[in-house]
Amino acid sequence: MSDLAISTLPAEVTRKRSAIGSLRLIQTASILVIALVIVSPLLMLIVASLKDDRFQILADMGSFRAFWVPNPTLANFAEVGNLSGELAFGRYLLNSLFILAATVGAGLIVNSMAGFVLAWGSLRGRALILSLVIALYVIPQESIIMPLVIMVSRAGMTDTFAVQIVPWIASPLYIFLFYQFFAQLPKELFEAAEMDGASVFRIYRSIFLPLSLPALATVSILMGIETWNQYLWPILVTQTAYARPIAVAIATFFGQDSIYWDRAMAASVLMMLPILALYLAFQRWFVSSFVGSAVKG
Amino acid sequence: MASVTIEQVRKEYGAVPVIHGVSMEIEDGEFVTLVGPSGCGKSTLLRMLAGLEDISGGEILIGGRVVNDVAPKERDIAMVFQSYALYPHMTVAENMGFALKLKGEGKAAIDRRVREAADILALGPLLDRLPKQLSGGQRQRVAMGRAIVRHPQVFLFDEPLSNLDAKLRVTMRAEIKDLHQRLKTTTVYVTHDQIEAMTMADRIVVMRGGRVEQIGRPLELYDRPANTFVATFIGSPAMNLFEGAIADGRFVTASGVALPLPPGYRGEAPKVYGIRPEHLTIAERGVPATVVVVEPTGSETHVLVKLGSTDANLVLRDRVELEPGQPIAVTPDLAKVHLFSEQGMRVN
Repeated sequence: MSDLAISTLPAEVTRKRSAIGSLRLIQTASILVIALVIVSPLLMLIVASLKDDRFQILADMGSFRAFWVPNPTLANFAEVGNLSGELAFGRYLLNSLFILAATVGAGLIVNSMAGFVLAWGSLRGRALILSLVIALYVIPQESIIMPLVIMVSRAGMTDTFAVQIVPWIASPLYIFLFYQFFAQLPKELFEAAEMDGASVFRIYRSIFLPLSLPALATVSILMGIETWNQYLWPILVTQTAYARPIAVAIATFFGQDSIYWDRAMAASVLMMLPILALYLAFQRWFVSSFVGSAVKG
Repeated sequence: MASVTIEQVRKEYGAVPVIHGVSMEIEDGEFVTLVGPSGCGKSTLLRMLAGLEDISGGEILIGGRVVNDVAPKERDIAMVFQSYALYPHMTVAENMGFALKLKGEGKAAIDRRVREAADILALGPLLDRLPKQLSGGQRQRVAMGRAIVRHPQVFLFDEPLSNLDAKLRVTMRAEIKDLHQRLKTTTVYVTHDQIEAMTMADRIVVMRGGRVEQIGRPLELYDRPANTFVATFIGSPAMNLFEGAIADGRFVTASGVALPLPPGYRGEAPKVYGIRPEHLTIAERGVPATVVVVEPTGSETHVLVKLGSTDANLVLRDRVELEPGQPIAVTPDLAKVHLFSEQGMRVN
């Protein structure tokens, strides 16, 4: 009886292993196909930006030639990468980078402070304020944009960098994200620092902020993407090239009689690069923060 | 160093009172332990002392100064938390020196005082490590180092050993006691472990339901508990208590077992008869009992017996051959009998 059992065991194991192997193969193939579908527009964009003939780009679309460039050239980048003139996309890129850095930098400070005070401050009506913050989150940006435009134009802020930065520094979503992160840190840390003689601001700066790297990274990325992709707001509040961001500038290609696909593609790659770099720099914390908040609820 | 006075201190959360007018005097340099079951208010009282909880009524004085409305950082006290509460992103040295840095001490002075504290606690080789690179016992020592580096007037410990394993707890217990003997800083130590309280404290405060049940030296509490709660809370295994009444010059339990009274006892008629397990011995003649469970621990033997229908524990220093179900006779040491009233208060 036992001999029989021993002799049949390897065949069973082999069958199971081959079934697991096939399943893994199907899984890997499916993941590859999905990844290709997601990455293909990006690949097409980069390839097209390296082609110097805008009619060829148009002709290649819809075939596999869209993913292949026989003679790559950086001529399009040289053409759009100026700091002044008609195609001053270098300037627009710098504008966008400045707006991004200022909004994210100030946003991290303001939203983290607000989140900290809501989580740990001895503030009257803390629960009410938190409820209001959460309620504000459900109001779409577009619904308040016209009153905001009127406000900033009356304040004489149109066509400035400040108008693209200040209104978006404080955000209910990011305040809530910071609040959630700070609230789950142990109370004893706050109390120990208090006993050590730290003021509330010092506790925030020296203890809680250095511990909130995952939250800082998450907010940096989310806020960075949001700021970088701002389109409606800058189109309403900028009239000249002075403070125009790259997203608005790219759109000007598509308003003309003839679309310069080669330049548009190169400008789009320029626009994509900084945000991709930001994500790559912070993605470890970004992922861990989202996983953490998912597990802890 | 400073004395601590707690006068009629009350704490209420809304309409719910949790501390009902507690008073005690802690002398300069004394080691006092607050002990009691979960929810008795001992940690709340310690946190009020630290300034981490508001005081609903009464007064707390540290070094003769009323500190009711004084911020924690201005009370000149240091606290060791149950969870250690070390700053995870700072090294051991930075953790220990943080309070001094906030005080504006110079780098050289901070280094010197951190080194001094590290020497006392044998933390020298660990100064550059992060808390996550330390064992539980080492983290506990860092938490103590963070407290002693400040040279505070009072140390507060909030169940600092409860996250450690049993063996390490014994070692750390001795280290804390040794530290107190060297530094002589007034210490208030909260624990739910009566062994910890007995072994470490100069005086113990037993609390229950937000009230002080008894304050005294460890052996005073052990030898003369003021009531049945203290009698059963202090000592392990707990004191045997039998309910009953005096009849014919003896104490007769509810199950009809007659126990001898201390010779010449003329006090209030007791309703509860108490005897510690080690003061109940096996004798040729005495109160009949039946062995239920025998637990040899090596140094002593714990025996659970039935006296009538009531369980009783014996702790025997000698090794004995006993079998479950075996009939024996036990006799109490009459000089060590504790008698309590119906309300559970000591009467002898």
